[in-house]
Amino acid sequence: MRTLELDADGWAGHRAGQHLDVRLTAEDGYQAQRSYSIATAPDDPLAITVERLEDGEVSPYLVDDVQVGDVFEVRGPIGGYFVWDGAEPEPVLLVAGGSGVVPLVAMARHRARVGSAAPMRLLYSSRTWDDVIYRDELETLGIEVVHTLTREQPPGWSGYSRRIDDELLREVAFPAADGPRVYVCGSTRFVDAAADGLVRLGYDPRSIRTERFGATG
Amino acid sequence: MPIISRGFRGRRQEGPPDRVPPGQYLTDDFPVLSAGPTPHTSLEEWTFTIEGGAQPVRWTWEELQALPREEVTVDIHCVTKWSKLDTAWEGVSVDTLMDAVEHDKEYALAYCDGGYTTNLPLEDLTGGKAWVAYINDGEPLEPEHGGPARLLVPHLYFWKSAKWVRGLQLLDEDEPGFWEQNGYHLYGDPWREQRYWGD
Amino acid sequence: MTVEERVLDGNAVGGLLLELFGVDLTAAPCLCGSCGAREEVARLDVYVDCPGVVIRCRHCENVMITIVRGPERTWVDLRGTSMMEL
Repeated sequence: MRTLELDADGWAGHRAGQHLDVRLTAEDGYQAQRSYSIATAPDDPLAITVERLEDGEVSPYLVDDVQVGDVFEVRGPIGGYFVWDGAEPEPVLLVAGGSGVVPLVAMARHRARVGSAAPMRLLYSSRTWDDVIYRDELETLGIEVVHTLTREQPPGWSGYSRRIDDELLREVAFPAADGPRVYVCGSTRFVDAAADGLVRLGYDPRSIRTERFGATG
Repeated sequence: MPIISRGFRGRRQEGPPDRVPPGQYLTDDFPVLSAGPTPHTSLEEWTFTIEGGAQPVRWTWEELQALPREEVTVDIHCVTKWSKLDTAWEGVSVDTLMDAVEHDKEYALAYCDGGYTTNLPLEDLTGGKAWVAYINDGEPLEPEHGGPARLLVPHLYFWKSAKWVRGLQLLDEDEPGFWEQNGYHLYGDPWREQRYWGD
Repeated sequence: MTVEERVLDGNAVGGLLLELFGVDLTAAPCLCGSCGAREEVARLDVYVDCPGVVIRCRHCENVMITIVRGPERTWVDLRGTSMMEL
């Protein structure tokens, strides 16, 4: 993982949850494009967090090769649906699968910046403790964080150690009656499973906003 | 002028120009391209039909399997720029199927489970140029790659090699199929780089 | 990864739609021309692993929007969408 701070000419600011598109052009004109969620709160400098995918075409370049001073094209901010502006009072449940945590952490950081009183809870699924992004910072944002580590747990781990299921959701999610808003982000399989589980718990499907992340790197 | 990103190369392999058409790169894997959910048709329900001739002619899966099977090794070229050399297939030549059909048509529209269509001149489906293929690399064709059977027309861009093919509609005139209605070239010769309308 | 696992949603083409239409369409409700379901673009099934972008109704899988980018032109087919609210 690598977080890149970007200085974008003419950038008009963004909302928590939005993303931008990065376009790279090689010297022979070959182009590749990828979308990355903005990791920072609206009032903070623009930054993206990139997960390095082994067979990726773009992420190894962004994670391994890019140096301060390098340039590439960005388009954005993008997104009018998967956004949280902080003025809403309802509790917010964030459900993250792997790198899906990036736009959700932007929301948590934004909440801390604006001093919102809306309760916010993050349910964050990762393979191992080493895969957890923003691991230490998450504890300082003033939100409740519940981890589940699905593949391997550190010695003495007393937290969840399985994929999200109905029982886990029932224990972690706000009661549906509280009228919470939900943001789920991760792989398609993760997002669909979590959203379906929440609906079975009685959540109004319209209260659940989803963003499916692609596998391409 | 797009901004050049220092040191970015991407991950492309060029290939021998006599095997790899202009603008294409070589790939070692077999990318799955799909415009919709993968259909799953059981072999019991599966049929292949050629209609538009004197009367429709239909084969069940067993009947298709009973037809002479050819093994071919061909290069394939996808309009999204990847090419794969020496791919191995087995199936029935479209010539064998067309031999059973009495007709006076010049074009065909291939139609498929899931709703995909693509058009071809009959001249490009016959003369040893096309197959209904159901084995790839020695194994039954996987659903993601078009199984149980797909069209295989390697001399044209691979969008013409329709996955999940269920039949051919014979026509008097060339009628654009799914991608051809959306900007892709009616014919699609990779050696003349006929990717889009007007190319 | 299977095709089912690689399907994305309208968020993934937000940038493309912004560039083509000049407006962020991810939150724009659309009506499926086939089954009448009303969903925001962000909640449609989006297939990008093909020679274009194919956007389908999540309920009936009808093709709602197809986008093909050529070197100089872009083709947008909206036949499968009976209404879009901006």
